[in-house]
Amino acid sequence: MIKRTRCCCAILLLLLCVNRAQAHPHVWVTFHSEVLYAADGTMTGVRHAWTFDDMFSAYALQGISHAKKGQYTREELASLALTNVDSLKEYDYFTYARADGKKLKFADPVDYWLEYKNAALTLHFTLPLKAATPAKAMQIEIYDPSIFVDFEFAKDKPVSLSGAPQCLASYDLPHQPTPAEQARLSQLDAVPLDPSSTYGEIFANKILVKCP
Amino acid sequence: MSRSRKVTLTALAAILIACATGIASAWSAPFGVPHPATATSASSLTGWIFAEQAAFYRSLSGFIRASKQDGAAMRELFGISFVYGVFHAVGPGHGKAVISSYLVANEETWRRGIVLSFVSAAIQSVVAIVVVAIAAVLLGATAKAIGLTVHLVEVASYALVILIGLRLLHVKGRGFLITCRELTGRQAADLVFASASVAKGLNATTFRLSEGRPAAMAMRGAQCQIDGCAAHAHGFQCHHDHEHHESAWGHAHGPEPAVLAGPGGWRRGLAAVVAVGLRPCSGAIIVLIFALAQDLFWTGVGATLIMGLGTAATVAAIATVAVSARGLASRIARTRAGLGMLTMRAIEVGAAALIVAFGTLLLAGYMASEQLWMFTG
Repeated sequence: MIKRTRCCCAILLLLLCVNRAQAHPHVWVTFHSEVLYAADGTMTGVRHAWTFDDMFSAYALQGISHAKKGQYTREELASLALTNVDSLKEYDYFTYARADGKKLKFADPVDYWLEYKNAALTLHFTLPLKAATPAKAMQIEIYDPSIFVDFEFAKDKPVSLSGAPQCLASYDLPHQPTPAEQARLSQLDAVPLDPSSTYGEIFANKILVKCP
Repeated sequence: MSRSRKVTLTALAAILIACATGIASAWSAPFGVPHPATATSASSLTGWIFAEQAAFYRSLSGFIRASKQDGAAMRELFGISFVYGVFHAVGPGHGKAVISSYLVANEETWRRGIVLSFVSAAIQSVVAIVVVAIAAVLLGATAKAIGLTVHLVEVASYALVILIGLRLLHVKGRGFLITCRELTGRQAADLVFASASVAKGLNATTFRLSEGRPAAMAMRGAQCQIDGCAAHAHGFQCHHDHEHHESAWGHAHGPEPAVLAGPGGWRRGLAAVVAVGLRPCSGAIIVLIFALAQDLFWTGVGATLIMGLGTAATVAAIATVAVSARGLASRIARTRAGLGMLTMRAIEVGAAALIVAFGTLLLAGYMASEQLWMFTG
């Protein structure tokens, strides 16, 4: 009797804890980023190419009219691209830049379009800085603070530089969550992040540009 | 009190504390920094489940694609869907929480708990299928429109959860109050001191909720005293006959088990599972639309239903544990006349309050906001 009761209690406790596990993330993005520089050596913005996972791509494409089955032209996807960048504004385009440690602000995206290839959507867009900024050390982080979207550097040449031959770009892969962090992640639905929290930052994909 | 009773009571206290910390951390989050410290020894397990679930989910698309040519792949798809369902239900947690709380508050049987779990999972699958069938297949709606539909259904679902919770809180709160009054009328004052801190908060809520019927309450209370101490048909002698407390609390403070077991009881139970099941899982919606895009809508429907079956299995298991825990608590409570009964009442009120809390948190968008519309408006 005691044994059974104890067992019962243990299971219940376990389930109560496990109960908080959840499904984050829901969208997976692999990306290329190009850091843009002007002739005078100031950084002007970032050009992103984000490729969504195939299931989310199919979901996003639902109801988009297209002439040929299985194919979408850039024009057919124009309205969806607009919706995408509009929705992303609320999330700061998941892009956070610092010039020598000072936070930079981005203006609304330009040159945005969607491309459909190999059953996946790729969103191309350029984020111009509000003001072109010079910096010895430029740090750009790409992450979702709420970890709803999983960002991952693309396998081949994920980071490049445009117009800054004297600078050197490198990138840091986000660290794998420790068991404690994993537990915190698993509680995001039950114990959500404070709206102002930037918890996802610790899993950020970091781009570093060093200039002389 | 025998040794075994002491052991069980201690274990039960541990569970209650675990519940309380869980609730406390859920509550504290909106007001400040969440507690990473609440992570316990189960952290590696949750981490594993977290990782596995994501992996299963991502493998679904491959299996759906493969099932186009390959019958074996379809069987694999269904297998993986079931496993994903099991894992997913261990995941984002309000459905089970509400159902379990409901079962605990209502003294439901484990059998009914299992049935209700399966019904709620079935409803959840069917809602996802119906939303996609109507919006995507028939109307050719965009992801934006579907996201909005899901959002509206969610809000309706959460509102219903709150309503059901409030109704339960009203009924159970009244029961708690009456038990409390009976005890204070009959037993020593130290008991009141012991329960005062708990009762204070609950009383405030209960009074507010039952404003409309103070007279009825007073009468019930009085009747209870008379029934209990003087002229009950079953020969009730105050608190000496422990067995009788069972029917005493059924009779004045909530529906009789017989009533609950009747068709009306089922209707009440169904209201709870409909409220919970109404909210479609965003994962199922994405899988269905993905399948539709591959011209495999029916495969998607099959996968969704099997996913629901997996979900039901987990929810049923959790519900069974919740019901057994309650049964255990009531067995222990039976050995302690007055205080035991009060504890049971308090557990019921707590469970009902939990439903309201979950509903409110969900509605406020603090929990489980699976924003499908992050990219799609």
